Amino acid sequence: MSERSGKKTAATAATVIVCLVLLAASVGPAMVSARPANQIPVESVSADAQPQDPTSEAWDTVPAVGVPMASAPSSVPNASDTSVESLRVQSARTEERLYLRLSWADGTADRNVSGPRRFADALAVQVPVNTSARPPISMGSDRNLVNVWYWSADGTTEELLAGGPGTTTTFEESAVETETTYDDGRWTVVMSRELESSAENRTSFAVENNVDVAFAVWNGSEMERSGRKSVSEWYHFPFGPGPQGPPYESILWTIAGLAIVGVALVTVKAVQKN
Amino acid sequence: MSTDEDTTTEPVDLAEGIDHQVAMVMDLNKCIGCQTCTVACKSLWTEGGGRDYMYWNNVETKPGKGYPRDWEDSGGGWKSSEHNERNPGEIPSQEDYGDAWEFNHEEIMYNGSDQPLRPDSDPEWGPNWDEDRGAGEYPNSYYFYLPRICNHCTHPSCVEACPRKAIYKREEDGIVLIDQERCRGYRYCVEGCPYKKVYYNATQKTSEKCIFCYPRIEGEGPDGETFAPACAEDCPPQLRLVGFLDDEEGPIHKLVNEYEVALPLHPEYQTQPNVYYIPPFAPPQHSEDGESVDVERIPRNYLEELFGERVHDALDTIEKERDKVNRGGESELLDMLTDTNPARKYRLEVFDDD
Ligand code: SF4
Ligand code: SF4
Repeated sequence: MSERSGKKTAATAATVIVCLVLLAASVGPAMVSARPANQIPVESVSADAQPQDPTSEAWDTVPAVGVPMASAPSSVPNASDTSVESLRVQSARTEERLYLRLSWADGTADRNVSGPRRFADALAVQVPVNTSARPPISMGSDRNLVNVWYWSADGTTEELLAGGPGTTTTFEESAVETETTYDDGRWTVVMSRELESSAENRTSFAVENNVDVAFAVWNGSEMERSGRKSVSEWYHFPFGPGPQGPPYESILWTIAGLAIVGVALVTVKAVQKN
Repeated sequence: MSTDEDTTTEPVDLAEGIDHQVAMVMDLNKCIGCQTCTVACKSLWTEGGGRDYMYWNNVETKPGKGYPRDWEDSGGGWKSSEHNERNPGEIPSQEDYGDAWEFNHEEIMYNGSDQPLRPDSDPEWGPNWDEDRGAGEYPNSYYFYLPRICNHCTHPSCVEACPRKAIYKREEDGIVLIDQERCRGYRYCVEGCPYKKVYYNATQKTSEKCIFCYPRIEGEGPDGETFAPACAEDCPPQLRLVGFLDDEEGPIHKLVNEYEVALPLHPEYQTQPNVYYIPPFAPPQHSEDGESVDVERIPRNYLEELFGERVHDALDTIEKERDKVNRGGESELLDMLTDTNPARKYRLEVFDDD
């Protein structure tokens, strides 16, 4: 093999390896199966990317979690008769705000509650007021209150406080903003709120611990309302220290990437020597 | 002591935690179906703001489908007198209530149209659609009017149905009210009431119902005077008595608990209503050639369907008292049923000093 062709081979090998590294770095995080159970990763995005818009490209790179939904235990009639079985959840943050993008299949957009038998589709996100303790899943308890962000397809968004089933009261002014689309048989709702809160009984996300979160969905055309709803288990946002967050994943992948590059360079050197 | 007197003075059965219980007795023999009560109620409480289709007081022709249509088949109430399990119920559809129709008043009154006065829409059902239809064959057809309000029940299944405890039975007089601040429009009360006397307001997004005109009975009017509910005060034949079930000196207690001639509608729903009815009499049936025959025009089994089996004794008692008066005797019962003195018909201040 001439010196020239040897150099060429080495260059080709290096290109292939670099491509592999890039591929691994981009696909790797999405394939991670090591994400702790019931975690909703929170990706950093720039506010300029308009994450409040459900159709924004900002969401394209945010990992999605498929959250199974089941009928909530409740004493209201037909409580076990609910229709939504899964919810797709993404979460992102800017410097200031926490965003949740929630999407689920519903064949009819029930926005109109003009008649006695009509109910609107609705969605709720529940977080504990005291994020260091996990409250009872069904709307907290009087000792551990929850915030409920409630969106109804009739166009209202409410921020509620609850201490057990049937106890919700509204915050005077909702700090939660909502934007929605309904397209191709799916609702997509982005809810957001400032990360920090100093208001009484309003959850703060500027914390050093994981924050529990749970979800509920109502299908209006099935007359779902109140305790007749599909709910998730507790999930959490990984805001705590420790090895479970996305930063840790990124570091791992960076180290892995550097190792691959190192090995590749050594290999290329060896090839050139021959 | 067990003496003979004890038989007529059983303690009045009030709901737990209630001091007194408002009650109404309506004498169905006097109702002319004029709907003055309906209009009195509507113009006071349910004009506009999403309430157009609601009639907290309605008067329906019986036999008939009523308002909302077929409410008697819509479920609700309790499975038994134990009051521990409710019957599932259904929310009536808008069509079953009927819409508040718009009419062509403008064209006819101002634009000189010679069209007949009629709704702009082409309705196929509405409140009172089957008015005066009744049942039976000529010459023995029959019907009567049934005015209905919320019964402010002793065991209100609407209250039990609400997962937010937004409906409650108030302590001082047992009036059943919906806390508009707590209500989130879930409508479990609408389906849970077997009489379908809770209505959903799609504009306010809450449920609403008869309030027994509580501001009137509390003397909240301009001169601080106490008034009976508007449906009672405005009734031309004055067929309603208003007071407290536990006012043992009043006519309501006597008619309900002593003479047992005033009966709740559909007692089998087990909510124990506090609106009571004097069942209707009608002229006897006629033969082909117009002779009266000794057969009741309104079939007893139909009345039994509405008022339970106690209706037989009630009708017999009234009949006996009438015979007595016809023979020149005295009857406390008939005196009460024909009393025209408002102070005795509306006894709303008897417990004011409690
Ligand atoms: S009539 Fe219906 S709404 Fe009224 S108290 Fe009884 S159950 Fe409740
Ligand atoms: S106002 Fe009196 S007579 Fe007229 S419909 Fe009402 S209850 Fe009957």
